[in-house]
Amino acid sequence: MTKPVANTSTPTRREPPRWRRRLLRSPLAITGFVFIGVFVLVAAFAPFISPYSPVEQNLRGTYVPPMRVELRGPQGQPGLWVREVSRTPLGQLEVGQELYPIRFFVRGEPWVWWGGLLRSDLHLFGVDGPIKFYLLGADEQGRDILSRLAHGAWISLSIGLIAVTIGLLVGVPVGLFSGYFGGTFDLITQRIVEVMLSFPGILLAIVLVATLGTGLTNVMIAVGIAAIPVYARLVRGSVLALRDREFVEASRALGSRDLRIMLRHILPNALSPIIVQSSLQMAVAILFAAGLGFLGLGARPPEPEWGLMLARGREYLATAPHVATFPGLAIMFVALGFNLLGDALRDALDPRALR
Amino acid sequence: MTTYILRRLLTVIPTLLGVLLAVFLMVRLAPGDPAQLLAGEFATPETLADIRQRFGLDQPWYTQLGLYTLNVFRGDLGESVRTRKPVTYELSQYFPNTLRLTLGAMLVALLIGIPAGIIAAIRPGTIFDLLAMLGALIGVSMPVFWFGLMAILIFSVQLGWFPVAGTGTLRHLILPAITLGIGTAAILARMTRSAMLEVLSQDYIRTARAKGVAGRVVIFKHALRNALIPVVTIAGLQFGGLLEGAVITETVFAWPGIGQLLVGSILARDYPVVQGAVLLIAVAFILINLIVDLLYGAIDPRIRYD
Repeated sequence: MTKPVANTSTPTRREPPRWRRRLLRSPLAITGFVFIGVFVLVAAFAPFISPYSPVEQNLRGTYVPPMRVELRGPQGQPGLWVREVSRTPLGQLEVGQELYPIRFFVRGEPWVWWGGLLRSDLHLFGVDGPIKFYLLGADEQGRDILSRLAHGAWISLSIGLIAVTIGLLVGVPVGLFSGYFGGTFDLITQRIVEVMLSFPGILLAIVLVATLGTGLTNVMIAVGIAAIPVYARLVRGSVLALRDREFVEASRALGSRDLRIMLRHILPNALSPIIVQSSLQMAVAILFAAGLGFLGLGARPPEPEWGLMLARGREYLATAPHVATFPGLAIMFVALGFNLLGDALRDALDPRALR
Repeated sequence: MTTYILRRLLTVIPTLLGVLLAVFLMVRLAPGDPAQLLAGEFATPETLADIRQRFGLDQPWYTQLGLYTLNVFRGDLGESVRTRKPVTYELSQYFPNTLRLTLGAMLVALLIGIPAGIIAAIRPGTIFDLLAMLGALIGVSMPVFWFGLMAILIFSVQLGWFPVAGTGTLRHLILPAITLGIGTAAILARMTRSAMLEVLSQDYIRTARAKGVAGRVVIFKHALRNALIPVVTIAGLQFGGLLEGAVITETVFAWPGIGQLLVGSILARDYPVVQGAVLLIAVAFILINLIVDLLYGAIDPRIRYD
């Protein structure tokens, strides 16, 4: 027996784990964090960020393109200024002469958020004058696209979180049990997983929505169920690799019960791939939900869901391209954020794995 | 090898039966009367009675399942509610277009993905690598439908190079194929890069370089041929995945394929066609994966099945 040797590097206790340092040093991870951070903040404070209500229509504002912001006022004073852009009853775009200032932290339409927990009439910015300010333009009903995007962020975030939670809550235990015990349970669940994976990608969600019916709640359930086989497969594979390792044997020899072994010894060691997958799965869930919305199988009008907004914009692509452009950019940046983070997490948690 | 093929073929059977069961359950679990769903909203009492009889809807579920399975194997998938034509006829009208689209997309994916991955791998850490990998990451993050719309906006509406929608000529195929293939190209680029990096770090590459083999020869003859084995497998598996993307791409470009048929049928509650289309896509997916699996052994002589 060799004597335990003092650790030469003498790590101090407050030093963060190595993977966290690796993660925070990676520019890809930082970029991912920034995208996700902006997304979550916009989703959480949507009514504060949006100048108007997401469903408020304005017949004089149909398809108004993104407005030009001037840096000089009527007398050349600095600041942010806009002109009124509106549609005449004949459908012509009309640009007003007068300049109105944009102000920050203004009082405007009152809003209620988080089921009544948060009430205010404060908005991040607004125009000081009797006109509407469409920073990203307006859609076919004259609704402010920025306001709709902000509220849509909340929808996307909810779908992503709920879908990943469903996938985790069902898929992880299934993978854990079928990998650990094997036998009939494993055989049956693996066949079910195989059948589910036979409907490639979004098709499984489409099949489920076709059965359950359309609507946001069903989209969350469908996208969540579509994530289950992914987790079940992943966890089962990790468990199979860990099941016969020495530390598991040791724990079993000490008389630990199966459940304790699974939860205390196997699951913590299988956590890295689960964490990586959850970040990637958020991107997948948001893309799937938007895809369903785009196909008309997801959210229903007037819900400001990004995929649905894009689908509406498709009809007027030639005359009002901004309607389809911005929701698409939003989806892409959010998915990119989660994909970047997932990649960086994989590199940080398992530096040997090549991308 | 023969036993492996046989065993692999046998494992497909429960999956196929499971898919059949899932498609069968779709209509039974959907809210509403299955007969009404299969006959359509405006069906006459006679049609309803006929449907009930043909699919045994007044009998216990296991008889229904048996009957459904039997009908599927006979090639009877029911009748479209909308057109009153057999579902098999509808599928045969739309499926070739989907096949054409997926083949085109695969070509695009191979032509973009593999070169990008090679360039990234032979100059790791450089601007080429960064650009290729960032492009690949954007490629997997981009919603297919949005890319398609932007492609239409730029190349069809603004520049007028390609038709906005429809099918028929090669010019019709180009934009949809690029749209569908770009995501797969991204995946292949990442795969090619990591496979190439892996191979390039092998001893025989160093040996080849040490004995003075030209750099280009090392890359293309020694490294690429070995790196492509996993890439070809992934490409094959992705081919099945393209079927999924086709559902959305076809809707964007009004491409008359199986995906557009599926979505239109769901929206019109044309359940027999929905069932048929889902069944066809799933079965095609399973069979493609099976073929790729079997070919894998043929491509890589190191693989031995025992």
